[in-house]
Amino acid sequence: MKKIHLEFSVNGEQRSVLVEGYRSLLDTLREEVGLTGTKKGCDVGDCGACTVMVNGQPVNACLMLAAEAQGAEVLTVEGMQPNPDELHPLQEAFMEHGASQCGFCTPGILIMAKHLLDQNPLPTDEEIRFGLSGNICRCTGYTKIFDAIRTAGKRMAAAKAASVEA
Amino acid sequence: MTKHDFRIVGKSVKRQDVIEKVTGEGKYTGDYHLPGMLYGKIKRSDIAHARIKSIDVSRALAYPGVKAVLTHHDVPKVLHYGSPHPRSASCTKDQYILEDKVRFWGEGVAAVAAISEEIADEALELIEVEYEPLPAVFDVDSAQSPDAPQIHDVGPGGNLVIPPVQIERGDVEKGFAEADLILEGWFEGGRPTPTYMEPNICVADWDGSGKLTFWTSTQTSFMVRGALAEVLGLPLNKVRVLVDHMGGGFGAKQDLFQHEFLCALLAKQCRRPVRMEFTRKETFLAGRTRHPFKMWLKQGFRKDGTLTARDMKIVYESGAYGSHSPGVTNVGTASATSLYRCPNVRLDGRAVYTNTPIAGAFRGYGVVQTYYAIDIQIDEAAEKLGIDPAEMRLRNAVREGDIAPSGHPIIGHGLETCISHGIKAFDWAGKRNADRTDPRNPAIRKGWGIGCEMHGSSAYPGIKEQGNATVKMNEDGSVTLLTGAAGLGTGAHTALAQIVAEELGVPFESVSVVHGDTDVVPWDIGAFASHTTYLVGSAAKMAAAELRQRVLARAAEKLQEKPEHLQMVDGIITVEGKPGQSLTVHEAMGPSRGIPAEHLIASGSYMPTKSYSFAAHFVEVAVDTETGIIECRKVVPVHDVGKVIHPIAAQGQIEGGIQQGIGHTLTEDYVIDRTNGRSLNAGLVDYKMPLSMDMPDIETIILEAAPDPGGPWGAKGVGEDPIIAIGPAIANAVHDAIGVRFHHYPITPEDVLEGLRRKARQDAGAA
Ligand code: FES
Ligand code: FES
Repeated sequence: MKKIHLEFSVNGEQRSVLVEGYRSLLDTLREEVGLTGTKKGCDVGDCGACTVMVNGQPVNACLMLAAEAQGAEVLTVEGMQPNPDELHPLQEAFMEHGASQCGFCTPGILIMAKHLLDQNPLPTDEEIRFGLSGNICRCTGYTKIFDAIRTAGKRMAAAKAASVEA
Repeated sequence: MTKHDFRIVGKSVKRQDVIEKVTGEGKYTGDYHLPGMLYGKIKRSDIAHARIKSIDVSRALAYPGVKAVLTHHDVPKVLHYGSPHPRSASCTKDQYILEDKVRFWGEGVAAVAAISEEIADEALELIEVEYEPLPAVFDVDSAQSPDAPQIHDVGPGGNLVIPPVQIERGDVEKGFAEADLILEGWFEGGRPTPTYMEPNICVADWDGSGKLTFWTSTQTSFMVRGALAEVLGLPLNKVRVLVDHMGGGFGAKQDLFQHEFLCALLAKQCRRPVRMEFTRKETFLAGRTRHPFKMWLKQGFRKDGTLTARDMKIVYESGAYGSHSPGVTNVGTASATSLYRCPNVRLDGRAVYTNTPIAGAFRGYGVVQTYYAIDIQIDEAAEKLGIDPAEMRLRNAVREGDIAPSGHPIIGHGLETCISHGIKAFDWAGKRNADRTDPRNPAIRKGWGIGCEMHGSSAYPGIKEQGNATVKMNEDGSVTLLTGAAGLGTGAHTALAQIVAEELGVPFESVSVVHGDTDVVPWDIGAFASHTTYLVGSAAKMAAAELRQRVLARAAEKLQEKPEHLQMVDGIITVEGKPGQSLTVHEAMGPSRGIPAEHLIASGSYMPTKSYSFAAHFVEVAVDTETGIIECRKVVPVHDVGKVIHPIAAQGQIEGGIQQGIGHTLTEDYVIDRTNGRSLNAGLVDYKMPLSMDMPDIETIILEAAPDPGGPWGAKGVGEDPIIAIGPAIANAVHDAIGVRFHHYPITPEDVLEGLRRKARQDAGAA
């Protein structure tokens, strides 16, 4: 089968790969780009484990053809850290609150939560629950994930307020 | 318990494995890509019970990109245990890797390796199988009928997996004669599945010397090693099993699966690495489920609520193979001797083969089923006798010295404390007297319920378990713990590191954990039965204690003091009464003053006795009488864990168990078409689990009510417990809300509406 030449940016880095037309963005990220942080829990759009951001919008990478990401900006869990020595407030909060157990759902949930907090750092409990309704976690009972997102949101809001004042 | 000023244990330190999980760096089996790797796929039967007349793979083999195809003609003819516990009291050797017979819809009949997953998938379509259908049975009643088709030639006869488990204590007839109230009824439960987020997966690679390296997502790496070696005819040192991070297991990743054998065989034949990954659908079809069950339960009570007799017959549906049915039947049946004390019991437990997917180990292992029934019937008795349900449980709760399901006297009885604590924390009395209507919605009825449980922190005495740990002191004073226990996601490795740091007297950060490589770590029986912290933790504590002695002996030589005058705290060794004199562990380890360097390593092996954890769950539900939907609104789980090692990890376990328990009770059921054995909802959309929007408010309470001398500082298991009590608590709360008793799970909206209709008819009849 003829391969497609694909150019896109992944976590701020320009990538160029050759893939078959039927390849999903998920398999392309994991197998061609070599970023295995994004997980495959179902491959049919039901679990949210593969959630990545494409041009600022969360998508299920298993449901998107890699070809559709031509020229796009993709963000995966590996791109969440602002710099190598610093974690994203969500990553910090997930560790503190025990929001990650087996961790298989975590990359997808982190991306979804980042999207949620980028829109609104102080979501209500209802908004957090609704925001995560497409992400399955089978280990945690979600309670600690909600806690972590609330904590990270508060810290992000405080940091934003401080930077505005300064 | 000696008084101990804890520095690390009991604190929610940062989990060791978690930074990798939040950065995406942690490697799971599917993240390993080896050069030249091939992809394996399994052809599955589309018939539930049949003999394979012929199987033609020529077209598949000729397909470009296909490297190998295996059928029952090409694999070793070795019968194996699906659940290979070498030290188990009873196991069933009833599986071949591939056979000329299929026993359930979806069973593997052939395997392909190809250069891509897509090609392997296409090749499966080209394999032609001719079946000779056999009569099949899809439920335990038909499987037990005298003219039922026999599914296996092995076993005690009929479709029994093992001989019935029969337990008798006291005099049941006398007990019933003494009763003022006798209740009896049927109970039934569906087929929930563990549905861990990481589908089953493995990678096999052989080297030139004939050694197999095998990555797999398993809870029992040493069992995988043993079974692969046995079937492939290799010594154990020629099989290396590696488990890095794993995406959950909940008990079900204890078995040896067809794909694991087939992957190794394909890789051998192709002389290239092979990866085999289940699709989500295959994880349903070929994974493991909880045992569906049917139970008849009869109990006698005095007016004051005291139990006088219990008679129980339970049948667990094993599905096509035995897997954990012997263990589940033993544990589940024996559990009915206890929880609520009863002097006269007669129990009969059976496991029966059917032509349905394989039931295996799953969190709560047989006990979920038993206690669901017992706890609902206790609630019915309380209602009939006019006793408060919580008070009823307090009166009957097991006590110190009562005989536990394991046959041992109970040491430490946390149940009463859990109940009493929960009564206050939940405001039980206030809630039970509150209005059951919802002012905002007249269709809603609220209700409150309680459920209880006890669960062993090990599989002893069913399995002769042993926990092992090795601790190495490095020359800079840092410490390496080696353990064979798998990390399913519970935080067990962190708990083990805490135990080592605490016992040794070094900072938590200086302990690192090496795990998941059978060539390196001490032998391990597997991560299951809520026993890692209890069992391996005790071994780690023993190893750390020995290492501490040896470090102190060395420091004593350097300081020219007696070892018994030294202490080590946070990695600093000081001399009693001489504040000026001290050494860091690092200094103690290095060569100096004519003392050469030394390799300090210690191992601990621990054989458990039996300990039990306890819990009482208090639940609020809201039942919509128009739609039949039950909403679980609030849960207060109160757990006795003996001694908590990592509070946040323990809470997380409890909250996750509640999530699964709510699912089991209200929505989760892997449905098999009872006419042809096909599965009807093998996917995450149709198999309904509670998600973020469905979770109640959970207020977890952890007590250290009844420490067990067998666990580290009294610690007991917590992993399985939370899934057990939540079910009956919900069913009892539903009854409190709408006055309808349900004896089965899941309780669906249709069941609620039908129950309400039935009740309305009865009420009308009575009026
Ligand atoms: S893997 Fe994409 S949604 Fe499950
Ligand atoms: S932590 Fe295991 S699925 Fe979420």
